[in-house]
Amino acid sequence: MFSRKYKRHMYRFAPVIIVGLLLTTLPTFTDLAIVGLFTKILIFALLVMSLDLLVGYTGLMAFGHAAFFGIAAYTTAILIKHYGILSFWLSAPAGVLMAVLAACVFGVIALRASAIYFLLITIALGQLVFELANTSLGKLGALTGGSDGLGGIPYPEIGFSFSFSPNSFYYFTWGTFIICALLLYWITKSPFGYSLQGIRESEVRARALGYNTWLYRYIAFIIGGLFSGIAGVLYVHYNGFISPEGVGMEASGLLWLMLIIGGSGTLWGGFIGSGVILSLQYFISGFTPQRWPLILGVCFVGVIMSYRGGIMPELNILWKRISHDGSP
Amino acid sequence: METVVINLLNGIAYGMVLFLIAAGLSVILGLMGIVHLAHGAIFIAGGFAGLTIVKWTGSFLLAVLVGAVTSGLVGLIIERGFLRLLHKQELEQVLVTFGFVYIIGNLILWIWGAWPRAAFVPSYFAGSIAIMGSYFPIHRFAVIAIGAAICLGLWWLQEKTRIGAIIRAGMDNAEMVSGLGINLTPINIGAFFLGSFIAGGGCVIGVQLFGSITHNDGVNILLTAIAVCIIGGVGSVQGALVGALLIGIIDNFGRVYFPVMAPWTMYLLLILVLMVRPSGLLGRKL
Repeated sequence: MFSRKYKRHMYRFAPVIIVGLLLTTLPTFTDLAIVGLFTKILIFALLVMSLDLLVGYTGLMAFGHAAFFGIAAYTTAILIKHYGILSFWLSAPAGVLMAVLAACVFGVIALRASAIYFLLITIALGQLVFELANTSLGKLGALTGGSDGLGGIPYPEIGFSFSFSPNSFYYFTWGTFIICALLLYWITKSPFGYSLQGIRESEVRARALGYNTWLYRYIAFIIGGLFSGIAGVLYVHYNGFISPEGVGMEASGLLWLMLIIGGSGTLWGGFIGSGVILSLQYFISGFTPQRWPLILGVCFVGVIMSYRGGIMPELNILWKRISHDGSP
Repeated sequence: METVVINLLNGIAYGMVLFLIAAGLSVILGLMGIVHLAHGAIFIAGGFAGLTIVKWTGSFLLAVLVGAVTSGLVGLIIERGFLRLLHKQELEQVLVTFGFVYIIGNLILWIWGAWPRAAFVPSYFAGSIAIMGSYFPIHRFAVIAIGAAICLGLWWLQEKTRIGAIIRAGMDNAEMVSGLGINLTPINIGAFFLGSFIAGGGCVIGVQLFGSITHNDGVNILLTAIAVCIIGGVGSVQGALVGALLIGIIDNFGRVYFPVMAPWTMYLLLILVLMVRPSGLLGRKL
């Protein structure tokens, strides 16, 4: 029926298609709680994939990635709550734009340093954003709500007299995720993406070949901020609430855990890591919410000590074995 | 004028506590290249252990000792059990210590509960001294004195002993030191233990400067300590001291005169130093 070439492509993309179909038909066979969980998983998957572009592909140890997420979420929330700009087509681009602008500024500051100092600067920058969001005093406190955060953000209003339900918002997130994930995939497979990997492997060599390594890293950093901002806008509409906890160092650390569990440098690992951690959180919080941080910490240490590669590469190997057994 | 003096003294006392945390962090970062993110949690663990001992026995000295030993042991477990196995993998080491932030914080919550622990002041440090018409508590003088004494001791260890010479050489070129036949492993273990030990004792002594501590204060204190290390310069006692006093005094005046900006002035200062002079004010190159 199909030629050999198409068969091979089918085998290669079969898992993606199966997962895609499952996610597309999800609301037809589960309840609202699971649909909500998967909305969150998709949002965080996008966030972790944008971090993976920095960590896995460019080799930048960015530990303040939640800051861009938070800046976009706060901008959108403030525009909706305080300025009455309800249209999604105004508030969302504004949020993403603020995240990109922040990435432009933070990138200039952080990329002066390398390796461990880059990590420290990004921690400091992330914490600066956290403290700005956490201040209860002054005009800023009135705007951000201080440590209480900002609540009561409705689902987006996209016009056409259409109003979102949890299910349709899930499809909205799913569609955004597909577009962004394909864009990220395309970036990593483009000449630009390969240049980033080259710079990660050997900066000296890349520079000797005439690459402006600083500029490549800077652009990667801004792209990371852009997709992180998109995730932030989606999250604030999904959650209806944003507080400083979503912005600070612990939030950034959680993203790292998702990245490492999924496997850094694999892109799709972000989806798996986000799925594993958020599902665990969803089910364990039902039993023992008090011990969740402990379990998280043990996961963190355990994965790094014994399972550094992550799940995604293992799945790749497994699938290759299955598909080679099954195909001619 | 007297408020300036009082604020200055408060700033110095707070700076001394910061020094006690940051000294260990600084040596660990300088010697092993590890950003030890669990150091703040270790500090808090020592404080909780110490304050429990105070409640049981009422002895302040014993409390300081128990707090210091508890922290030292936790630090030792992390180094021997985990970081040792990730030799030369900087990123993994940082992430493991971050995992311990969650683990230690939640274990403290499990053992001691969620309510904040108030500071304890022994009877012989009670009371206050009049300075230019206003009063300054004696126990804060005690904090300054103890901090200064420990600082002197560490400085002597660093500059005047053979171990100090090995540590300084190890920071410059660890491979060369090993090549000369010096085993750096016990030095690393010792630095890790001593750094955690001082932090734990420092928490029991200095908790009065914070008012009270809760199980998840570790992250905030850690970030302040990182700022101290970076601003002062990584890897030396005098660097940690300068950074700690600077942050302590700036923070104190900031809280009094610019309360809105105070929480984030520290990070602005940190970012500024990292941009202009990444090795810090008195630091060596990493």
